[in-house]
Amino acid sequence: MLEIRHLTKIYDDGTVALRDVSFSVPDGEFLVVIGLSGSGKSTLLRCINRLIDPTEGEILWDGEDLAKLKGDDLRKVRRHIGMIFQQFNLVKRSSVLTNVMAGRLGYTSTWRSISGQFSQKDQQMARDALERLGLTDQTDKRADELSGGQQQRVGIARALMQEPKMILADEPVASLDPVLAHSILQHLERLNKEDKMTIICSLHYLDLVQRYSTSVIGLKDGRVVYQGSSADVRNITDAQFKSIYGEEAERMGGIVGELTTEEKGAA
Amino acid sequence: MRTRKFESETKPSLVPPIVAGLVSLVLPGFGHMLARAFGKGLTLFLSIVAMTGLWIWRVRLEARREVDFLAMFQKSIQLRPILLIILILIVLIYLWIAYDAYKTADKRKKPKSGFLWLLVFISFFLLGWQIGEIQPATLITEGKNSFPLLSRVLWPWEKAIYRPEEYLTGYAEVVIPCTEGVELEPVVVEEGDPVVTITPTCGNLSEIDGDPGTTLTMTGSGFLPNTETEIWWIDQVQNKFRHRAAGDYVKVTTDENGSFSLDVVIPYRVIPATNEEGYVVWRLQGSQLASVGEPVPSEELLLAIEKMIETIFLGMMSTIFGIILSVPISFLAARNLMSANKITLAIYFVVRFVLNIIRSIEPLVWAVIAIIAVGLGPFAGIIALTIHGIAALGKLYSEAIESIDSGPLEAINATGANWLQLVWYGVIPQIIPPFVSFTIYRWDINVRMSTVIGMVGGGGIGYLLVQWIRLLDYRSAGIAIWFIAITVAILDYVSAEIRARFV
Repeated sequence: MLEIRHLTKIYDDGTVALRDVSFSVPDGEFLVVIGLSGSGKSTLLRCINRLIDPTEGEILWDGEDLAKLKGDDLRKVRRHIGMIFQQFNLVKRSSVLTNVMAGRLGYTSTWRSISGQFSQKDQQMARDALERLGLTDQTDKRADELSGGQQQRVGIARALMQEPKMILADEPVASLDPVLAHSILQHLERLNKEDKMTIICSLHYLDLVQRYSTSVIGLKDGRVVYQGSSADVRNITDAQFKSIYGEEAERMGGIVGELTTEEKGAA
Repeated sequence: MRTRKFESETKPSLVPPIVAGLVSLVLPGFGHMLARAFGKGLTLFLSIVAMTGLWIWRVRLEARREVDFLAMFQKSIQLRPILLIILILIVLIYLWIAYDAYKTADKRKKPKSGFLWLLVFISFFLLGWQIGEIQPATLITEGKNSFPLLSRVLWPWEKAIYRPEEYLTGYAEVVIPCTEGVELEPVVVEEGDPVVTITPTCGNLSEIDGDPGTTLTMTGSGFLPNTETEIWWIDQVQNKFRHRAAGDYVKVTTDENGSFSLDVVIPYRVIPATNEEGYVVWRLQGSQLASVGEPVPSEELLLAIEKMIETIFLGMMSTIFGIILSVPISFLAARNLMSANKITLAIYFVVRFVLNIIRSIEPLVWAVIAIIAVGLGPFAGIIALTIHGIAALGKLYSEAIESIDSGPLEAINATGANWLQLVWYGVIPQIIPPFVSFTIYRWDINVRMSTVIGMVGGGGIGYLLVQWIRLLDYRSAGIAIWFIAITVAILDYVSAEIRARFV
């Protein structure tokens, strides 16, 4: 159970990224965060594993406040939270295997990791993770030789090496084409259903949200403006939609599929 | 440009056009200033002042001996007609400025100043031509004299090989003067050596301003064919001198069988015998210079190779020292690592500033400073290149650190890695390629620079090159130049290969 309470983040330059955000995520959820660019989705995800330090508020995970952790304690908690990124964030010049093994750093002593002496168990785990994501043939290639979809799967394999209880996914499919987007999200869905991992994922496309989420929150200007289950999203109203995406926004495709005024004019 | 347009369209001139023109006749450019074209007026004023000043300088320089300025002017125009053209242009510009000021002040007419600026440019160009003493004709008239020298530089390899030479000699003996009962022992000739015979085997000296001495017939055989042979007189204690006829050394060239025959008049120079002995025995020797044995590398070639090796290692050592010292400095000069707080940011600015100053001073200047500090030799060169290398590499490295992708760092941080693991898995893989690339590039530069550094005494082949050029030994200099060119070309290729492999 993850519980966010009154989370606020104000950057040094005065930008308010999150304002008093509160919500809770039961274990095993597939929570999707939606909202415009700059609405605070990335900041929210990064506050949970403390890549960004929140200004105020609590992040309670199984009763422990992650916002207060420092040093070794923080690193020990981070081991259990996998993270995947829009730009994959692989070390491009390192091999796929090295990138995957990096997920194990939190469990490995400094000396062993620097000299590359990972345990037999870790190496077996890496092979299993790569096999699970269909990357066995790519193991020794350099990360930047892989296609976008493959790179994101390496990112998932790296997260898997952490044996995470929760995975944070920051727009994991925004750099991929729709077919690959489904493939990646299906991997996440499998981790959610089969491995019972909690997934917190930010997404842009409503059809993907409806297809994969078990619950949804909407952010606008750092505030939570929408909370609902997967079923609720299927029946999202125009008013709710505009509260998330702004008054100017028009829904495309998805459910209503109405043309915008400009497009009417053009047609 | 923008302000001038703005002014001419909105603000009227401070004075009537005619006044602006007259002011400009007194002080060129000031009319424009009064007409609210300040920048243009100032530029024109400075231009014409500079032109006139430069022109006067060149006139005085060309006719230094004259006292009176008019005489100076006439002399210099005579020597350098281009100065007259420049003067005409200056006067033309001066008048044009006044006219332009008149037009500028007149609001209705926009002056077309393009031609005025062109004149200004041409004047400066001609001044530059004169100051630079540019004489393209000398390239052709003088240039052809340099072909023999240049050909020695271009193809110096004759000097790269040395053939050991030895004198091939044969002699016979003569008794002076002819003395009864003196028997000459036969000359022992070893197998293969030349044989010389003289008839008669005795004779009298020439007298100074008197009778010529006895004429001997000298024949030689077994010498090298078609080779110049010197004739020497040698006494029993190895005093020797070359035989002359009419003041010139006598040379005889052997025929195709290696034989010669020559008439030799015994000169007065041959030391007469003391009274007790009554006679003296002289050898008459034929002597040829002949190469013997295999050709060997010349001393110059070996020296050039030695110094080339020194140069390569000079470059290598200064690169290594440069790397060791610049890596830590580069972290201090990387903005993304140093912008955490005000103190580190201050350090960043100070380090950057110092690096920029060091880098802006040429390695040659550093070499001169280092030579003063540690004396001539490769160590001074290493110090100079190291100092410059620190600044250059420090900048390049720090820029490489600044440009690393922070995404992977974020991802590795998120796995619970500690700081060292983060650096090892996230930072190092990203900075190795640029570091390797810059380092090899620097080595390349250092080897090339070390040839130049050598010219001021910082060790390496440059020192040798300058010495040989000053001794007018163009063949040896050519060898040095060839070695430098070959080494630089190889290094260029190798460094490109390595960089391609790492990046």
